Amino acid sequence: MLYTIVLLPVLFLLVLPVLNIVVLTFFDSNLSESIASMSTDLFMLLLKSLAISGIVAFISTFIGIVLGFSLYKSDIKYRNVFRLLILIPLFISPYILAVAWKDISVLIFDIDTSLFKKTYSFIGMILVHSTIYSPLSILIIGSALSNISKQMEESALLIGGFKDMFFKILLPLIRPSIITSFVLILIFSISEFSVPAFLGIRVFTTEIFTQFSAFYNHNLAMLQSLLLIFICVFLLVSERKRISNSVFLSIGTRGKEVKLYSSRKIVIFSYIILSFTIVFTVFVPLSILVYQSFRTGTSKFMEALSLLLPTISDSTLLAILGSIISVFIGFVAAYYSEVLNKKLMNLMLLILFAIPSTIFGIALIKFYNNSILNFIYSSFGILIIGYVGKYSFISTKLIGNSIKQIPKSLEEAAVIQGIGFFKRIRKIIVPLVLPSIFASFIINFLFCFGDLGISIMVYPPGTEIMPIKVFTIMANAPESLTSSMALIVFLVTILLISLLFFIFKKIIAKYNVNY
Amino acid sequence: MNRTVLLFLLFIIMFAFSCEQNTNSIVVYTTVDQVFSEPVLKEFEKETGIKVKAVYDTEETKSTGILNRLIAEKDNPQCDVFWSGDPLRTAVLKNKNILYSYTSKAAEGIDMVFKDKDNYWTGFSARARVLIYNKDLLKDDDVPQSIFDLTDKKYKAKVAIANPLFGTTTFHFAALFSVIGDERAKLFLDSLKANDIVIASSNGDVKRRVVKGEVYCGLTDTDDANEAIKESANIGVVFLDQKGIGSLIMPNTVSLIKKAKVSDNAKKLFDYLLSEDTEIALAKSCAQMPLHKGVKLPKGVLSLDNIKPMNIDYNKTAGKLENIQGYLKAWVEDK
Repeated sequence: MLYTIVLLPVLFLLVLPVLNIVVLTFFDSNLSESIASMSTDLFMLLLKSLAISGIVAFISTFIGIVLGFSLYKSDIKYRNVFRLLILIPLFISPYILAVAWKDISVLIFDIDTSLFKKTYSFIGMILVHSTIYSPLSILIIGSALSNISKQMEESALLIGGFKDMFFKILLPLIRPSIITSFVLILIFSISEFSVPAFLGIRVFTTEIFTQFSAFYNHNLAMLQSLLLIFICVFLLVSERKRISNSVFLSIGTRGKEVKLYSSRKIVIFSYIILSFTIVFTVFVPLSILVYQSFRTGTSKFMEALSLLLPTISDSTLLAILGSIISVFIGFVAAYYSEVLNKKLMNLMLLILFAIPSTIFGIALIKFYNNSILNFIYSSFGILIIGYVGKYSFISTKLIGNSIKQIPKSLEEAAVIQGIGFFKRIRKIIVPLVLPSIFASFIINFLFCFGDLGISIMVYPPGTEIMPIKVFTIMANAPESLTSSMALIVFLVTILLISLLFFIFKKIIAKYNVNY
Repeated sequence: MNRTVLLFLLFIIMFAFSCEQNTNSIVVYTTVDQVFSEPVLKEFEKETGIKVKAVYDTEETKSTGILNRLIAEKDNPQCDVFWSGDPLRTAVLKNKNILYSYTSKAAEGIDMVFKDKDNYWTGFSARARVLIYNKDLLKDDDVPQSIFDLTDKKYKAKVAIANPLFGTTTFHFAALFSVIGDERAKLFLDSLKANDIVIASSNGDVKRRVVKGEVYCGLTDTDDANEAIKESANIGVVFLDQKGIGSLIMPNTVSLIKKAKVSDNAKKLFDYLLSEDTEIALAKSCAQMPLHKGVKLPKGVLSLDNIKPMNIDYNKTAGKLENIQGYLKAWVEDK
């Protein structure tokens, strides 16, 4: 029943707009012309984009394993501070980060060196994307690492050394998270437009954007997007197949104490690697922003503050609501998919996730912009629908991986005791997957709070939300004002995330779960 | 617990679907940078008491988000007035039958060349395409004076332009094709390519690269040039081809969106944007050149009388763009 209650709104409010635009595309009189224009060059471009995004996903996931272990399994001090700092690249828009890194390159390198030129090309894109998406991998893998039973690791350590335990126990146990991280980041990277556009790299998304924005050919853009969706579905189905063959499913006792490694070597390594990453991905770009903001005094910072202050409350509320609904839908989709093998909602959310934001925005306009649904289209409701449609899949993946780790015997025992469905969910499942719920809430919040792609297409006239304000102002604003705005967005985000961490710590303590 | 959930759901619904109901209001979509357009719209609100609900565009989406939104909303337009930074985008909307023909008395002092012959759009305050250069890197004698100088070997890999598939650079190239003919224009573009021209992501990016000294010079708009001068003392500006084909002049345009009922408030804003007051405000904020004759100019703002304009028909140039867009895409991708 719960599944149907959630599935119906997902179907009618989120999926139907996309189906509508797909049908419109296929019934368009220029369809054959559009199909004919999809040359082999386009498929080569898709392969090239896949290769670049594959490298990004590999690097980010590798960083995710190393830093995830350092953050979640080594016995370091100030763990929460490190966790917060390491998340920061996720707060910053890819576009602003690309601009910041380009400025850093200009400062550090001679403009004629090949290294400088490379930062404008593929290496630059890989660098920026890996910086942005590594925190995502750290969260996903870290969350899985904190779910591993202490006894498993200790038994392994009794038999073999740390190396054996790491490669033969720990890595296989978190394999689903590693694959999820790789696939999600690959999809994020291949769908991202602003960085390759800024760095002048032709990839598949810039091609879609060109059809959409230079030729106003919505149908061809939609057809090209369908290719992207196909690739994403293929990747996710492959991922599922890999996971279902994994030994991971046969074990797992969640809710036990987390094993922390206090060996001097591991702790020192963790401090070094975490500090280096934070300096490289946080302090360097942030220093540039601070320098550019205050180079000419504090006036531009104050101006930026007065511009952005009115947008904070609405943006925060929208992001919180979008995240809560996304996490709820994600939880329901994940539970029914993993426990009861009902995968339809999962597939729907995946397709929505894979559609480029601008195309999803157009789909929402075409569906909601009419006299009947105008009350949604002209209100914040359309933004929440956009966020939920675009980002719920992230929750499904993260929570789904955690649900997999819960032994079926726990729920079965509850069923034998005559405990009802909702009570089982509330008292057994939710407490056991709380860390993943929190991780997906944070990721969803960050994506909703910083969303530009959907928001720019559907934000109601006369309203102001933070990312829109930043990007509409920065079009011709002086560098100091632009940097000040980016800095304020960063400060507000870190404040909100700290607050969320604090609230969640209280909730976690109530349920006595380690995180 | 259940009561908390219910209250929460109620709050979501109230917040999410709350929208300001104000009959004395209009919706404006503008591609003009918010820093320049918002003060004008606020002033209109102050003077008339009509609430303006604006939608602005972003550099990241190449200022095409709004145009695509207008096209997608065609069957149930939300927008009343479209204020564009150039006539090309407006021409796209005219061709898609989205605009409403309106003749404003406020446009009487504006030259016919800056108006659509069918009155689907009217021009006001113009920008021009200019060359900005870094004074630390280029001596006065070395500064290009013609767009065709940019193919000179001494500027190899040191000139930036924005991606010609988007924004005013598209307009500039379409105008060039109109004025010098397809064959000569293609030869020129091939020479630019051979000279390793740098394709930046936007005019703002061109400005950034010149200010930071990554390139000697670049083509951009007068408002970007004005900002560059404010940001850095080492920036010089040249109106190219004053002894040749002239500089491209790009008026803002205002249009009404076709709806079941075009409101009087929309017409009021249309008239207001065409007024001399608006032109003076835009001249002060971003050095735009008034199209009304005899408007008193702020210090430092050039009059159109002092510039040799490129001789083009804006509607025909929009048509030319449609013909060369495929060529431009191939040109960019071949870089």
